[in-house]
Amino acid sequence: MAGFRSGRLDAVRAKIAALETGGRGDSESLSFGDVSVDRCFPGGGGLPLHRWHELGGEGMEAETAAAPAAFVALLARPLLKMGPAVWIARQDDLHPPGLAGLGFPAGGLIEVWVRDEAQALAAAEDALGASGVGAVIVEAQACDLTAGRRLQLACEKGRATGFLIARRPFGGGAPGIAGGSAAATRWSIASAPSAPAPGRPGLGPPRWRASLERCRGGRPGAWLFESPGAYSDTEIQDDAHPLRLVAELGDRQLAPAQPARPASPPIRFPVGGEDAARRRRA
Amino acid sequence: METSRGTRRLAAVGRAAAALGLFPGQKAADALAYVPDLVTAEAEPEADAQALRALVDWCVRFSPAVAPDPPDGLFLDITGLAHLWGGEAALVADFRRRLARNDLPVVCGVADTPGAAWALARHGDGASLCPPGRQGEVLDHLPPSALRISEPACAQLERLGLRRIGEVRRLPRSQLARRFGLELITRLDQAMGEAPEALAFRRPANPWFDRLALAEPISTPEDLARVCGDIVERLCARLSAEGQGARRFEIAYHRVDGRPQTVEVGLAVGAREAPRITRLFLPRLDQVDPGFGVEQVTLAAFEVEALSASQAALASEQAAGGGIEIAPLVDRLANRLGAERVWTSQAVESHVPERAVARRAPLSPEPPARWDPAQPRPIRLFRRPEPIEATAPVPDDPPVQFRWRGQLHRVRLAEGPERIAEEWWKAPIGAVSATHVRDYYRVEDQAGGRFWIFRAGLYEAGAPARWWLHGLFG
Repeated sequence: MAGFRSGRLDAVRAKIAALETGGRGDSESLSFGDVSVDRCFPGGGGLPLHRWHELGGEGMEAETAAAPAAFVALLARPLLKMGPAVWIARQDDLHPPGLAGLGFPAGGLIEVWVRDEAQALAAAEDALGASGVGAVIVEAQACDLTAGRRLQLACEKGRATGFLIARRPFGGGAPGIAGGSAAATRWSIASAPSAPAPGRPGLGPPRWRASLERCRGGRPGAWLFESPGAYSDTEIQDDAHPLRLVAELGDRQLAPAQPARPASPPIRFPVGGEDAARRRRA
Repeated sequence: METSRGTRRLAAVGRAAAALGLFPGQKAADALAYVPDLVTAEAEPEADAQALRALVDWCVRFSPAVAPDPPDGLFLDITGLAHLWGGEAALVADFRRRLARNDLPVVCGVADTPGAAWALARHGDGASLCPPGRQGEVLDHLPPSALRISEPACAQLERLGLRRIGEVRRLPRSQLARRFGLELITRLDQAMGEAPEALAFRRPANPWFDRLALAEPISTPEDLARVCGDIVERLCARLSAEGQGARRFEIAYHRVDGRPQTVEVGLAVGAREAPRITRLFLPRLDQVDPGFGVEQVTLAAFEVEALSASQAALASEQAAGGGIEIAPLVDRLANRLGAERVWTSQAVESHVPERAVARRAPLSPEPPARWDPAQPRPIRLFRRPEPIEATAPVPDDPPVQFRWRGQLHRVRLAEGPERIAEEWWKAPIGAVSATHVRDYYRVEDQAGGRFWIFRAGLYEAGAPARWWLHGLFG
């Protein structure tokens, strides 16, 4: 009886999954290298590929979009094996040496500087639909349902993965994230305090608090990620995911309203690098 | 009418005025005294030059090698193509007929050398053909001014009673050179074909050129598109046969009224696939105004380079490394948005952050220079650093807090300084100053935001330190 019921449930689940993917049933995904993250996504294999994902930030980050950009660079890095990336933006403040510091091969990145929102989305659709593109990153204010659906169709046609960084223009209104969105997932990314190794001055590897706010066919969640290989000249291993899960903050229905903070009191840390110390001694 | 040396003079005269005895260079007052009801207009050398350029472009229908000869002439190199019209005489007749239809009076001459043709056109009967190799006999009867020499030399020849080129040619060359300068000798030799003459063609001769003459003028968008496809296919077939590919194509629709309408497309990687190139042209054909109809189409390919034949199986392997597969995408974006809006960044060996990045065309070969990943650089670099109010109690230390865009950030961790000075070897040594030094710190605030800030100049007692925010690490 129990076997019969679970069999029926599995069949229904498969049917729902088929409906959600529009009957195309491709389930390629990119694993985060951690089961607790991967199981939030449909199929349990990690970030679904050949879809587009929406990422944004809060407060000042909604304008500068630095943390989402860094996070996207790390998310998209494993996809570059399939082809070069295209970065479409209205502002030209992306600094490729910063991408290189995160291990992103910025030397092959194709940067596209568009004039307005409509051009950004049109260029993204064109790039997603082209063959041989590994990842498409587009900075745009918002994407309505129609435009989102077009992006999704282009993803399926070109078998590329898209990332939309929600970014409002300087001094512009609030980012108008439409109620409905055709994105496969929606993330909110914020920088998180880093933890340098004990006894070492300066900053630790960069960390981000990433909360998965919406996920088609999956569950939301919130995690703290770290990029252990950032800003070091060690050779990057291809198989390892560039993001490492740091601490389990919670794998629950809602993102924690009050993000957990490190318990340490706000004390002044020794500031200044080795150079400064040496100069002071001299 | 023009003003030269303080006097109003006639710059050019019409046919009727010439019949009345007026001539260019005559004083306006004299001319008006002869013909009181003379209609005059101000000379417009700019407009004339533009009209000449348009005429030169139109002449491409006869020969790809056309050189303007300002102010009012042009050279047409018809070497090896007169047979297409059935002989030089037929070509000249067609040329004159077409220009007459546009009400353009024309005189022309055909000869072995540009100099002789010029002399025949301006001083012959206006439609003379010089038989090959016999320009000497023809020119001997023309005045020395037909040699394109300067006014003073011409006047002096006249004074010495030398009224025919033949008389000049009989004089010893050494004396001619001494008396009239090298110019006369050079021009004489050029006219006779004994000295080379370089013509500045409006478009350098391009072997990758094709033209399609249409039986009937066309004007509908569908026809324009179809003709575009046809001519691209013809040129691409030639490119393919010779193993070449081009990176720039220019199509020109020549209208009945003689005005060419050009559309240009560029490609990131040389190509010769006709459907792909046609697809690049099609969205831009709406810029073409066919007017009363288009009677001829020309297509030229530029930046032609050897392109090895590609195999479908190899193409997929290349995609991982070379990115050849995405060349069509780059072309579409570059042609739609403008080539300067699509680029790939490359490293420049400079410590100044603004100069560390240069742009190159996508898919062009990558230079060996690399950014050092161990040097932390922000992911967003502001074009101009933003001033911040920072509190730094200890000189030469990063601030403990700073205010940026009205928001207070308490510094939790900091790293630095990384001192970046100006590139003193690029400027005169006197202009180098210690105030152009920047001490960069990477700081992290309580919320985790990572910033790249710097203090401008060295620490000076009494002077407040100036702090700037240059970028965000995210």
